[in-house]
Amino acid sequence: MNTKLLCRGSLVVLVVLTALYLVAPVFFVIPTSFNDSSFLEFPPKAFSTRWYEAYFQDPAWINATLNSLQIGVWVTILSVILGTAAALAMVRGRYPVKALVSGLVLAPVLVPYVIIGLAVYAVFLKIGLTQSILGFVLVHTALAVPFVVINVSAALVSFDERLEMAAMSLGANRVTTFLRITLPCIAPSVAAGALFAFITSFDEVVTSVFLAGPDVSTLPVQMWSGVRVQIDPTVAAVSTMLLLVTLALFASAGLVRLFRARRLAKVA
Amino acid sequence: MSQNTSTSTSTSTSALAGTGVSIDIRNVVKRYKSMTAVDDVSLSIEPGEFLTLLGSSGSGKSTLLNIIAGFISADSGAIEVGGKDLTKVPPYRRDLGMVFQHYALFPHMSVWDNVAFPLKRRRISKAQVAERVQRALDVVELGHLGKRRPTQLSGGQQQRVALARAIVFQPQALLMDEPLGALDKRLREQLQLEIKRLHRELGTTFVFVTHDQEEALAMSDRIAVLRDGALVQVGTPVELYERPASRYTAEFLGESNIFTGRNHGVDEGSALVVRPEHVRLSAVGSALPTGHNAVDGVVREVVYLGSGLRVEVALPDGRHLITRSEVRGALTPSPGLPVAAHWHPEHALVVRDDTAA
Repeated sequence: MNTKLLCRGSLVVLVVLTALYLVAPVFFVIPTSFNDSSFLEFPPKAFSTRWYEAYFQDPAWINATLNSLQIGVWVTILSVILGTAAALAMVRGRYPVKALVSGLVLAPVLVPYVIIGLAVYAVFLKIGLTQSILGFVLVHTALAVPFVVINVSAALVSFDERLEMAAMSLGANRVTTFLRITLPCIAPSVAAGALFAFITSFDEVVTSVFLAGPDVSTLPVQMWSGVRVQIDPTVAAVSTMLLLVTLALFASAGLVRLFRARRLAKVA
Repeated sequence: MSQNTSTSTSTSTSALAGTGVSIDIRNVVKRYKSMTAVDDVSLSIEPGEFLTLLGSSGSGKSTLLNIIAGFISADSGAIEVGGKDLTKVPPYRRDLGMVFQHYALFPHMSVWDNVAFPLKRRRISKAQVAERVQRALDVVELGHLGKRRPTQLSGGQQQRVALARAIVFQPQALLMDEPLGALDKRLREQLQLEIKRLHRELGTTFVFVTHDQEEALAMSDRIAVLRDGALVQVGTPVELYERPASRYTAEFLGESNIFTGRNHGVDEGSALVVRPEHVRLSAVGSALPTGHNAVDGVVREVVYLGSGLRVEVALPDGRHLITRSEVRGALTPSPGLPVAAHWHPEHALVVRDDTAA
């Protein structure tokens, strides 16, 4: 009994410590963002919202944010389409070089981002794609596709192919079968993949640093230079807002799941 | 379910009745790397017939059904349905209903939407769809459960929804791949009767796949026995049971006593088949009916089945013989009792022995 209690106690302590460790940056960032000081300072001395105002009044920040959103949306759309198609080919396809294709599709996760950034920079400089939305979208999509592929192929592996056979025997052609049967069944995983894709793009610094410049920048690059060039507390304000947005995204995903479960339970 | 459904059900069913079409399977061959799954099978299924493809696992029965449905393409041979060659037609244009062992209901749709799915693919007016879905659900006595999700139904109910979905569009024929395999015995027997009723009332051609010989005997107009991809014998249940063409069929359908070898008067490559219910037991030395063949043995085991007894008799050569007899027969068998097992020669069938290999 005593050992059991001890085990439980130490487990709780371990969990709490791990959780604290993981969210520690938040405890630094949020108070700092409300500090009335021209430096990133911790602990904060006086309360102020001036860095939030600074964010909204600086067109550089606003443009970077809009760019990031725009790039993120395009990346999400493209990588969901490409990644789902790739996952289908990898799970269902029967062709000789399948292992090679899988390796190539997943390669961007394994190759260090610095190398990708450098290589892309060299090529994009020549063809004029640096400092362009298209350039960012192309690179981020390559980075995001593996996340969609991993999510969707996991769902496809556990998907019962007989459902597709049933649909076809009932008169649905391949396209209708995919849109009406397969896609709705794997939709949660596609959505998860989409979320990952968006965050991958929205969060990307390493390759983006190579592509960004005075004309076109993204939010993470702007934050990075904000810290590097002058220690600008606006970064803390932006971080806090990003935290809120992320939290809202995941909370709404959770709510949707909860709502679905409730509705199912109610009918039963 | 409710008592007054019988009349409404039959009118519903007649409205869904199809016209039976013939299915011709011509020299179909399907090979996989190391094995021949379907070995040159030719079979003609009559319009409106209930034909069962019977075989153990690996006999090629499911492969053959999937070739008919169009999910597997044959290496050679042809499939004709209603006189039209469908060999190269994709499954979604074959107009054949299909029922799967594990129901294959769409989990993200309600029961109603599952059944409406084939109708919506056929661009039928909304009112028509509603009417026919309701009718099909009434036929399987699930008219009140349309709003449920498939996962909220029992296995038997799910399979009934699958049946409704497969008949609602009045397909040319209905293909069923071990549809009762996932259900327990009582439910299975109940659904067997329902499927028989559906077949009778719809008049559609049914092709049914099973490994269960009792199910095949109980349901089919004709049974096609498959073994290692090849067709062994086709016939009505009575033909197959009473006049099996080979030892394999005799042993696969029902119980049988097999005698081989010259000391039983059987030629090489042949076997003598005697069904247990035709074997009678008498006391050793008592007068046997004239002309009866007999072997002496000792009762080894007696099993009370309710409707009768199943008696195992050990023979001098170490083999044993199975008989079925009435509970209150002339002789009360008990283990250790020496008996004479005998039968009329007309019940002893000489068949080809195809199990040697």
